[in-house]
Amino acid sequence: MDLMTHSSTFLLPKISSKNGLALNYALVVLNQHIPRFTPLLWQHAQLRLCADGGANRLYDEMPQLFPHEEVFAVRNRYKPDVIKGDMDSIRTEVLDFYTNLGTRIIDESDDQTTTDLHKCIAFIDNFTPDLDKSNLCILVAGALGGRFDHEAGNINVLCRFSTMRIILLTDDCLILLLPSAYHHEIHIQSSVEGPYCGLIPIGMPSGSTTTTGLEWNLDNTAMKFGGLVSTSNIAKEQIVTVRSSSDLLWTISTKKA
Amino acid sequence: MGLMTHSSTFLLPKASIVGHGPALNYALVVLNQSLPRFTPLLWRHAQLRLCADGGANRLYDDMPQLFRYDDVFAVRNRYKPDVIKGDMDSIRTEVRDFYANLGTRIIDESHDQDTTDLHKCIAFIRDLMPDLDKSNLCVLVAGALGGRFDHEVGNINVVCRFATMRIILLSDDSLIHLLPSTYHHEIHVHSSVEGPHCGLIPIGVPSESTTTTGLQWNLSATKMRFGGLVSTSNIVKEGIVTVRSDSDLLWTISIKKA
Repeated sequence: MDLMTHSSTFLLPKISSKNGLALNYALVVLNQHIPRFTPLLWQHAQLRLCADGGANRLYDEMPQLFPHEEVFAVRNRYKPDVIKGDMDSIRTEVLDFYTNLGTRIIDESDDQTTTDLHKCIAFIDNFTPDLDKSNLCILVAGALGGRFDHEAGNINVLCRFSTMRIILLTDDCLILLLPSAYHHEIHIQSSVEGPYCGLIPIGMPSGSTTTTGLEWNLDNTAMKFGGLVSTSNIAKEQIVTVRSSSDLLWTISTKKA
Repeated sequence: MGLMTHSSTFLLPKASIVGHGPALNYALVVLNQSLPRFTPLLWRHAQLRLCADGGANRLYDDMPQLFRYDDVFAVRNRYKPDVIKGDMDSIRTEVRDFYANLGTRIIDESHDQDTTDLHKCIAFIRDLMPDLDKSNLCVLVAGALGGRFDHEVGNINVVCRFATMRIILLSDDSLIHLLPSTYHHEIHVHSSVEGPHCGLIPIGVPSESTTTTGLQWNLSATKMRFGGLVSTSNIVKEGIVTVRSDSDLLWTISIKKA
């Protein structure tokens, strides 16, 4: 079974590949309150998309993260490459502003069968020939909070695109998929994340999970909703390893500044 | 298969019996997230009010903000929980002292690190309150979503673990409860306070067959699973939504802003 390594270098100031991961990042901004570290994610990303109303959030909230700067200077600096979705949330003045700046607007209001995040991930997967996909990681800002069905829909996008690295991010935590086809090494960047973490059997019970590096390690332990789900766990060591018979979600808290 | 009826009467001003099921007795558990704006309404409906550890901080800090024209201490005195329970690692000393002096029962379970604070509260309600008619009991949980995702999942897992109890997780934006597969379900939608956005989520195991009526995109013996179809961003079209499934589902519906 192959090894898959994970590391939240996108939460660290932009530096060269410290641990051999050398990932290319894309950023998708959703329609929730943007995390305080969004400018850092922006810096790491080669491609920046807003999913529909995510453009409103960028427009309204990015200047609030730079209170000493002039509002329009910030808005001009944080210009997304693409705005995509069914366009039922984006405000007209926001759409016009970014259109005038040169952002590509892709209106998919005809497609009501997939979420805006799904459309953005599919776009990145299929229509970005210039982006090196072999080491691609998609960062999704504002993936949690708000309506629970939206949250469940975002998590399902992780599961549907399980061969891609996609990380859901909020002010409080991050979530990513640990596909069962690999065993996993998670390098904890303790200056920016942890120690609270969890492993969640998403979609089906897990017959057997084994971990190292946690306060409460699992040892061929079964997990399921209605039984044991590993939440409020604590990362004790710098590397956490996980292997499981089925796909799990890994979640870890992000530290306040 | 028996029928189970659901109705968000706790979001309406008066909990009247509207003729579609037994009148429920409510208990309220306040968790450590920002209080939903309708918490005073939930409080009024509830016969028993608990705070899970840091939920007491939220009550103390946030309830006065919902009554900006009232004196802060008047509000705090009025919204006094019956019990504060949990491992006590979040509650502030001045909050704990304030409620202890008011007569709130403080149950310190800091020795128990195996279960979440919500689990402790639900178990408490289930085991130690014989006065409350449990067959018609519905536990409302305020502040169940938001914050750390592992907490949220832990709260959802409490709903799954106590599958024979009615437990409703509430935030400002939505509510969630379990639809056990042993029943078929009638969900009476109160469109003045909830909807239309809704979803059905196969929590824990894939669902081989779910059938619904009353939704924009109904399911018809349809399979659902994470990695495939999960019914989200659905829309309630009728006053009653029916659901039957071969496995437990979570029902979620949006809550309307004031």
